[in-house]
Amino acid sequence: MESALTSTVGAAAQKITAEEFDALVRRHQRRVHRFLLMLLRDPEEADNLTQECFLRAYQNLSSFRGESSLETWLLRIAANLAHDHARNRRAGFWKRLLGFGDEEEDGPAARVPSGTASPEQLLLAREDVRAVWDVANQLSQQQRAVFLLRFVEEMELNEIASALGLQVGSVKTHLFRAVQTVRNKLRDLR
Amino acid sequence: MNANENLHEPLVERALVGFDLAAEHHIAHCPPCQTEREKVEDALRQFGAANREYANRSESFYEQQAARIRAAQQESKQKSRLTMALVPSLVVLVLLAVALLGKAPGVRPAVVTPPVQQTDSDHELLLEVERVIQSDTPRALEPATLMVEDSDGNRPLNRTSDRKESRSNEN
Repeated sequence: MESALTSTVGAAAQKITAEEFDALVRRHQRRVHRFLLMLLRDPEEADNLTQECFLRAYQNLSSFRGESSLETWLLRIAANLAHDHARNRRAGFWKRLLGFGDEEEDGPAARVPSGTASPEQLLLAREDVRAVWDVANQLSQQQRAVFLLRFVEEMELNEIASALGLQVGSVKTHLFRAVQTVRNKLRDLR
Repeated sequence: MNANENLHEPLVERALVGFDLAAEHHIAHCPPCQTEREKVEDALRQFGAANREYANRSESFYEQQAARIRAAQQESKQKSRLTMALVPSLVVLVLLAVALLGKAPGVRPAVVTPPVQQTDSDHELLLEVERVIQSDTPRALEPATLMVEDSDGNRPLNRTSDRKESRSNEN
């Protein structure tokens, strides 16, 4: 289905039917929404920008030339939207003031899969996740985007480069610094 | 961690960032680096899994989101159709307005007449100035001149010589 749809869109950049567009949304909305939520840490804004992302994709379908996958192209639109959103300093000010930048009680650390781990191991794992989350919060938005695409979305370096419009070397540099900071933070914990 | 292990630090990062043959080779033969790599790798893996779990939403959430996107897409499509329909009408309206303004009565005379009127008034002014100069008396003083002429028994005044005399008396 995706390949057919992608080729339809990519080759032609022609008209897309409502059904095809709906299928495209359903196939990619989870990843786009997750990426925006991780990047912005604001569920409401992530939802709004996911909608905006697909709307932009629909309006600019003619500019998609099929050089990357459709999903990479969508993530690129999402990253640009998040970048524009982050430039709104007033919104950032209110979020900082209200403490939305901090991880909430029900944040990712609380979602560490328990598996067969003992309560003590689970506690340590949560501490680790919280530490990595803190590091991610301190990264610049571009570094955070690279970091999240690599370790949450598990994308390849060339895919990340394509999604963010960067050179693979820049992606490696961003990741190297982020991982180094994570490593230092984890060392401080123990 | 001793100083020797600190030297290996970048190799752990390099191995975690992407495939790096030299780093992989070193780590394969360095147990402390192996431990360190596993520790960081494990934290990053848990971070990824926890975030995916955290961002996961119910099926109804995605249904509603897709419905909102569909509605926004339809609205966008209607707007673009409306724009496409309105643009030619607006162009026709603008052209009509331009044509009507060009043919409107009073516009052309208003443009042409003022220079003619200006020329006439200039000409009249020149004539007036000439007449005053020829009479050799400022218009405002003409009544006084007539009175003087009457009191002198209608003797015509040699105005220039009179003025010279009055000036010498003042001195």
